[in-house]
Amino acid sequence: MKITGYKVEPYLMKMDRLVGDANLPSGVEMLPGSILWLETDENVSGISLGYGGGIESLFGAIEGADPREVAALWIRMNDVLHKGGNEGAASAALSAIDTALWDLKAKLADEPLWRMLGATEGRVKAYASGLDYCLSDEELFAFYRRMAELGIDSGKLKVGLDLKADLRRLGIMRDALSIASARPGLMIDSNEYWSPKQAVRYIRQIEEHFDLIWVEEPARRWDYDGLRLVSQQVSAAVASGENLHSLSDIYPLIANHSVDVINVWTGQSGVTGLMQIAHMADAHGLQVSMMNAQANYMAQIAAALPNHNMMEVVDPGREHCLKWDSRIEDGFIVLGDAAGFGIEIDEAKLKALQANPPSGRGKFPFPRREGAGRYIVPPAPGEVPWRSGR
Amino acid sequence: MKVTGIKVTQQSHPLSRRMGEARLPAGRLTESCCIMELMTDAGLTGIAIGSEGVRAHIGELVKDVLVGADPRGVRGLWRRMLDARSAHRHGRYLHEAIALLDVALWDLKSKADDQPLWKTLGGARPKANAYASGVDLALSDEELSAWYVATAHDYGLRGGKLQVGLDPDSDLRRLGLMHAALTQATADPVLMIDADECWSPKEAIGRTREIEKRFDLTWVEGASRSWDFPGLKQVSNAIRAAVCVGEGFTTCGEFLPHFHHRSADVIQIDIGAIGITGALQVADSAFGYELPVTLSAAPGNIHAHLSSVMPYFMSLEVIDPVPAARFYTSDVRIEQGWAIAGNAPGNGLVVDARALTRTATRAKASR
Repeated sequence: MKITGYKVEPYLMKMDRLVGDANLPSGVEMLPGSILWLETDENVSGISLGYGGGIESLFGAIEGADPREVAALWIRMNDVLHKGGNEGAASAALSAIDTALWDLKAKLADEPLWRMLGATEGRVKAYASGLDYCLSDEELFAFYRRMAELGIDSGKLKVGLDLKADLRRLGIMRDALSIASARPGLMIDSNEYWSPKQAVRYIRQIEEHFDLIWVEEPARRWDYDGLRLVSQQVSAAVASGENLHSLSDIYPLIANHSVDVINVWTGQSGVTGLMQIAHMADAHGLQVSMMNAQANYMAQIAAALPNHNMMEVVDPGREHCLKWDSRIEDGFIVLGDAAGFGIEIDEAKLKALQANPPSGRGKFPFPRREGAGRYIVPPAPGEVPWRSGR
Repeated sequence: MKVTGIKVTQQSHPLSRRMGEARLPAGRLTESCCIMELMTDAGLTGIAIGSEGVRAHIGELVKDVLVGADPRGVRGLWRRMLDARSAHRHGRYLHEAIALLDVALWDLKSKADDQPLWKTLGGARPKANAYASGVDLALSDEELSAWYVATAHDYGLRGGKLQVGLDPDSDLRRLGLMHAALTQATADPVLMIDADECWSPKEAIGRTREIEKRFDLTWVEGASRSWDFPGLKQVSNAIRAAVCVGEGFTTCGEFLPHFHHRSADVIQIDIGAIGITGALQVADSAFGYELPVTLSAAPGNIHAHLSSVMPYFMSLEVIDPVPAARFYTSDVRIEQGWAIAGNAPGNGLVVDARALTRTATRAKASR
């Protein structure tokens, strides 16, 4: 059993709706995708979704190796990256390769990844996340009601630019979710738009009206002093980590008690890297929450984490060329028994997407908005489809 | 695949030599242990070997948590076992029981995968840096020299850990003997000492500094009480050698003060106390702090399976290169200073049923 080759196929998707946050409240509907196949001499390939190129820079470290030795290969790749660091494009490549190796390892054992990783059951609590700053009040209600109808009882709202409108929309989200729970779980996310003290002022005003489970990225990703300051001054937990890419990036946040919840995903140095983060967090009594993913594929990993609370479900329509083996039931992502991540690629649809790329408004990722970290620039007239609270 | 029950056999066997530490200087010649055989409906059996004290907890844990469960879900089952007994805080044997069941579950998981444990864990090149640990306070000078000469000569072990703490002059003399014996394997032996927590922090500083005038020590283990993080930090700040902490820790949480206060320079993990699942978690945390990991001795040296998946693995302890007990064999061999796990599925422990029945002190099967 040997790794013999790879291929990467980039493509462009048009989602079913706009997604947006404080940095780009008008939203985008275009999403670049990419699929990596790691090929073996036994006609099985491992896939990973969502990363770009750079694979050639690391492929030499795994070529000819047995993919079942993935944890040791992770160490080897990390050592190869020693001088330049496990950062940036190199980190994305390591993440993609490690993720595909785990897919292979589970496929070779003919097990779903959750079982290969040692989870007792393929079941992960979900929360709804609209990436919804670009949605009108009506669309906002419709999204969270649709999620509540699947039994999902918690939601995370994009906030940060308009306190009164955010308060109104938190009420709308709570009402929509109230059919799933008498006390829906509420979270907010300002995507690093605030300074730490702006965050404290803003969040404490929200907390006069709503009980929040967590506030996400209330300060810059690396600002362990600022994040700790926010955590000490608000009731809600502080969540962060999605924009950091390895255990060594996240270490200062854990060691300095800066965050209460760590957002994890495979972009943090793969399945191996995110499990390292979850394990270190668990030893410190911290929870982790899995990021959203195409076809919720990362639930396969979340199921095996000892300290996982709930996983983000966005469902904006990113599964154009995918078939998957999971469903949402009674508020949980329920994983099937298909091997690996349980994802199959419809290569005909992929080729069609590549041949005729769709077009639409904007393209992920979002840039940083004017004023971020210093002063708030509210949405200009016509920038968002909702009414200002001012 | 489902767990159907467990067979626990209690055993007593002679040790390969008289073993003693600062808190038991006269030493002991026999050991009692439990052999666990976790049974499944697939005909596979998961093996773990541990101390006799765990017996009281095993049957109930298996009945309450494991019977009917798929052993491949071992990480979740480890958590369930801990949760099921969360009210029993700091029960040493209870945690050991959970650890040993976790070892047996990983054995089953890798047997179901038809792979050696190291490969199921994702490891490669199962060649782990090993050192000799004489547990030697009760040995005469001649016996001490002979044992380290044999481990260096026959197994190529280049490091040694001496039990110290009660008599500074003897400790210095015996360190010289261990050093000389290890030169059979290398010109630069790796020297470690273990004071078995018999020193206060200031005693640890005084004793270690005196030793360091003559010997370069890699680490000091048991320098003070294991929970005394301010004391151990004080020791670490005052000596050259690393302070090694963690032997016998049964939960990830026990490591937390040492991580947070940097009172350990080398993290020691004991799979017989914390299980494989717990060991992997602690090793990842140690990696986050850039702290090297060393593994406490395990029956049959099965800890060798874990070495290649731990990003900051440093070394593992070998008390017996070949098991002293006659009722089991191991697929891990010690060669030229390395512990090398073989390719047999699972952890490679094989129980000799006939030898077991012949020598069992008491046997009990429960469902």
